[in-house]
Amino acid sequence: MKLYKKEGNIAQILSFPNENAEKGDYLLIEDCEEGKALIVQVIDVQFANIPGVFEELLRSLPDGGELIQGEDIDPLEIAPHITYIQDARLLICKIRATVESGGENLSPSSSWLPSRSQSLIKKLPISTLLKLAKVDGKLPITLGGTKEASLLTIDATALDGRLNIITGKKETGKSHLSKLLITSLLQYNATVVVFDLNGEYGGLGMTSDGKRNPYYTKIHVLTPSQNFKVALKQLHLNVLLGILIHALHLPGTSTREFRRIWQFLKEKSSLTLHELGEAIRNWNCNQNVRDALFSRYYALVNSGFFTDNTAEAMLLEECLFKSREEGGAIIINLRNTSAIDRQIVVEYVLGKLVELLTSWKLKAVFLFAEEAHLYLRETYWDDIVTRMRHFGIFTTFITNQPDTIRDNIYRQADNIFLFNFTNENDLEVVSKAARVDAETVKSIARDLPPQHCLALGKVVKDFPIVVKVKALDVKTMGETRLFFL
Amino acid sequence: MDMSLPQRFVEVSISSLKKLQTRPIQLNQQVFQQESINQEDLYMLQSSQRLVPLNPRTIETTIAAVDTSSIKLGETSRGIIIAIRGTAIWKRSHRYGYIRVGPFIFHITEENMKEIYSTLQKTYFPEQTTSSTGFTQIPTRMANLLEKWLQASLVQTISDGIILFDGSLTAGTPDTPTHQLREILAAARKMGNTILAFTKTTTLRFNGYIITDTLLNQKPPCLIEMSDLKTKPPLVLLGDVYVAKLTIGNYAFRLDIDKEIPSQQKIEAVERLIGNDLLRQSYPETLRLAHILCTFTANEVIAMQHFIQQKYGLKMLNRPDMHRLLFGPYGKGENSYEAI
Repeated sequence: MKLYKKEGNIAQILSFPNENAEKGDYLLIEDCEEGKALIVQVIDVQFANIPGVFEELLRSLPDGGELIQGEDIDPLEIAPHITYIQDARLLICKIRATVESGGENLSPSSSWLPSRSQSLIKKLPISTLLKLAKVDGKLPITLGGTKEASLLTIDATALDGRLNIITGKKETGKSHLSKLLITSLLQYNATVVVFDLNGEYGGLGMTSDGKRNPYYTKIHVLTPSQNFKVALKQLHLNVLLGILIHALHLPGTSTREFRRIWQFLKEKSSLTLHELGEAIRNWNCNQNVRDALFSRYYALVNSGFFTDNTAEAMLLEECLFKSREEGGAIIINLRNTSAIDRQIVVEYVLGKLVELLTSWKLKAVFLFAEEAHLYLRETYWDDIVTRMRHFGIFTTFITNQPDTIRDNIYRQADNIFLFNFTNENDLEVVSKAARVDAETVKSIARDLPPQHCLALGKVVKDFPIVVKVKALDVKTMGETRLFFL
Repeated sequence: MDMSLPQRFVEVSISSLKKLQTRPIQLNQQVFQQESINQEDLYMLQSSQRLVPLNPRTIETTIAAVDTSSIKLGETSRGIIIAIRGTAIWKRSHRYGYIRVGPFIFHITEENMKEIYSTLQKTYFPEQTTSSTGFTQIPTRMANLLEKWLQASLVQTISDGIILFDGSLTAGTPDTPTHQLREILAAARKMGNTILAFTKTTTLRFNGYIITDTLLNQKPPCLIEMSDLKTKPPLVLLGDVYVAKLTIGNYAFRLDIDKEIPSQQKIEAVERLIGNDLLRQSYPETLRLAHILCTFTANEVIAMQHFIQQKYGLKMLNRPDMHRLLFGPYGKGENSYEAI
């Protein structure tokens, strides 16, 4: 391999067919005289612009597109050299870092120019790169294997306090990776809350053959209106107001009246659904306000999420407190929940989390949100990247529609796990992420095979690495229902 | 097919290259293809021309052609490195087939130049005496040897066909000894073949005009027979000279047809060519393909340089071009004046 060009932070390297370099590979351009080396990553492989190739291709097809049949007597065997030159490749590489002092110092600088004639270019094994970049730590999470069969192990602390995105088109392995991250976090006694839109995460505590696995006791599946109900008396007014305003769009005037009714019932210690309905019916207020309150009241009642039976009410707090000590995942199963009820449940859970975190009853929570645009209200997006992070909610968004996540989320994302995308628009959206350049995203993500993801961001110290996500022995749930099977 | 000449080409090629191991090789700053320069000392005694209209004959006929190419790959302190390749191509039943021989790479020095040439020449044309050859003409001369071998092989392989040569049927030059061309033409006649030799550029003039310009107003396809042409010794015309305008457009070529075949057969041969081959810009496609297949592309030149570098450990150098250095964009490069 030979260094051909360097423009900005792009290096072009001439490579021959026997020097097998592919997209995603790392190369080391070593200038021994300078005592420095550039770490570059191949983001595209092109044919080298060899003069005369066009003429050769034309020459082979002169007969109306049919190949001319002929015999080449080539006694010196020049033909292999011709194909060798013809197949020369140009590796378009992104400069990732400079290594100095025998690998001790790693800096993101690309301000120097290695010698074109003297530089030695060789492949940099991912395992060596990980050592150089110090991608390890005390709380290892093995994501899977790299192309070179070495393991990619990240540090759980790189997810702590971070905003993460897992994205890719359908059936590429997003949920699989999020399950891997969840179970790995559980090993370190983390508290995890999952908004499970398709009921996929319920089997995390079971092996694929239905036996209990080590996480069994740590997995708490809460299905709204079944084993997950709340009694009004357990609710804080602010949480219920959040549901009424954001999920059920209660206008301001009506909200004020509701607040009064709530205070009235609380003073009477009769915060039940029945009493609430009666209070609205008898409350001295404008008929329109009464109608508005009634419509919301019936929405709450019909959701089946609220109950007057405290024994029936499953306390989210209990699960969270249990998880606080030895770790646990609270799976909020939203599979058979209607859109409105989903929002009610999510508002409740998020409101409760904020309440517990602000009062320091909980230290921090890892929140995994699948297709969050289907239940997250508009204002929460900004909350998640700003306010909630400070409360201790560290969110991981999982989506196959990257344009449903706001641009500012991409810009502030600390880690992105990118699976295959072929659609230009999808790639364009993801390329807005601040932790990686658009060329890398567009070039590498397009060619990722299923179960392979491009890890970007702090987990890999900003060295994008392609990894085949390792298999996980958990029970698969939430499969797509098929007609022909 | 007698393969003794290509075999000898290989032996001489390897032997010449072995002697230059570890020597640095100076790349050409401008690598360009060999173009044969046909400078004939022909003149016309009087202005006798005969227009011959042509009618295409579609009777199934094999059309074949031969061409060779040579190129300079670089220079060493002792000489030059050249490559030679030749192609024989034929069209039969609307399909093309070819044999391509080479490339053969030679290291030519002042010392080995004569030995290499005579060794090759004696292999196939033993009765021919070796004439002195200039350093710059040697690639053309060696390519001509290969071309003559290909021509001689082709005329004995094909029967009742039309065989196209690149150039004229003028003999008596160092490249084309008279008896050698006579033998090729005789062998062709014996097999029922007719040789048609197309010259792309001619210096032959009539009334002050290049002869190929005289036909431009005629309706194609047609020929003009140029009679009473004389040559200055030792040149000998072994063909009758025509100007051929075979398609619409401002293209006409000098066409030499074997003198020894009857006039009617000559005309029929051209008519069979028109009826069996594709013609564009008045030039037969088979002959064009022969040229295309043997010409070296830039990539092939790089590949051959790579071969000698890998196999014989030569170091490639690129000396500064003094014309470019001194005159910048106004310097055309010293090699543009070189003829190889």
